[in-house]
Amino acid sequence: MDTYQAAAIIHRHRGDALVTNTMSAMFAITAVSPSPLNLASVPLMGGASGLGLGLAMAQPDRHVLVLDGDASLLMELGTLAQISDVAPPRFVHFVFNNAVQFNGLANVDRPGRNLDFRALAQAAGYASAQRIDTPEALDALLPRLLDAPGPHFVELVIEAPHKFTKASPQPEIPDLQFARMGAEAQAMMEALETTR
Amino acid sequence: MAITDHSVSASAVAEILAEKKINAVTTVPDLVQLALHDRLQGDPAITYLQCSAENQALTCAMGMYVGGLEPVVMMQNQGLFNCLNTLRSVGIDARIPLVILVGAFGREHDNLGQPLSDSSRVMVNRTRPVIDALGLPFHHIETAADLPRIGRAIDAARAGKCAVVVHFGHYLAWN
Repeated sequence: MDTYQAAAIIHRHRGDALVTNTMSAMFAITAVSPSPLNLASVPLMGGASGLGLGLAMAQPDRHVLVLDGDASLLMELGTLAQISDVAPPRFVHFVFNNAVQFNGLANVDRPGRNLDFRALAQAAGYASAQRIDTPEALDALLPRLLDAPGPHFVELVIEAPHKFTKASPQPEIPDLQFARMGAEAQAMMEALETTR
Repeated sequence: MAITDHSVSASAVAEILAEKKINAVTTVPDLVQLALHDRLQGDPAITYLQCSAENQALTCAMGMYVGGLEPVVMMQNQGLFNCLNTLRSVGIDARIPLVILVGAFGREHDNLGQPLSDSSRVMVNRTRPVIDALGLPFHHIETAADLPRIGRAIDAARAGKCAVVVHFGHYLAWN
């Protein structure tokens, strides 16, 4: 399964869910599911799960989907504890596990090659934790998760992209990436009518 | 001036937060503001979230704010050093008006009433220069006479759409 396949299936089932996202999942969900209800953690690796938990506490009637990265979650692993403590019932925490850092920019192996994310979430106390490696399985799972009390955790086994090499020019990061988080926060607040 | 004169009342701080419609708190382990934690954690009007680390306290607070709550963030000075990139992202680039209540952990009693810059402890004497370097407002609370600065700090954060630091120079009092 690649990042875009997973994002497309999440799009198919998201309805009016709030979606926080980061890293490779950010580019994919923006492409396949553009919405004022998307909030990117950028440039801020590790922030998607905290943003999602805060949103879930403020908007308990909404579904909140967190599209996290594997290395990003490792940076803020403590959020598993907070999410389990608060136990937002309409909360699904996806981790796009491709085993590399900076997917699509300059891939570096991430630490924890034997780490079991699903077991971490289970041990933290999530209501359910799954590992999914095909689009079909994700498509079948999502409606059930959105109906069942959470928080739920879904480790998505994602094919790692080709690594950048010395022959691959690295891009300049555009201004948009630095203004994006604030602009999306404003758009989400307008959609939620929480602007002040 | 007695050492206790540098401990401002936790209840007085909580009253100011209530007046400013603060209804949520994210926090991390914090020795300086224990009395305020005690007040806020037991307040049914407050959504209170204990986080594992300062980055998470900031991102959770941003999510709360976008979702319609009015949070403050509580941490110690050394925790502030721990989350500078997230503070940059949330409090400057994303323009979220978060008020961060920071306790001066490690401040020597001989420094009470004296300039923070005269403290021999790095985490005390460098906090304000770091916040100044980020271009964020810094409001120091040394005695009860400084308490009105808290309300002004909240107003400044909302008006300026940025993070603001309220810095408590000594342990808060349990009254």
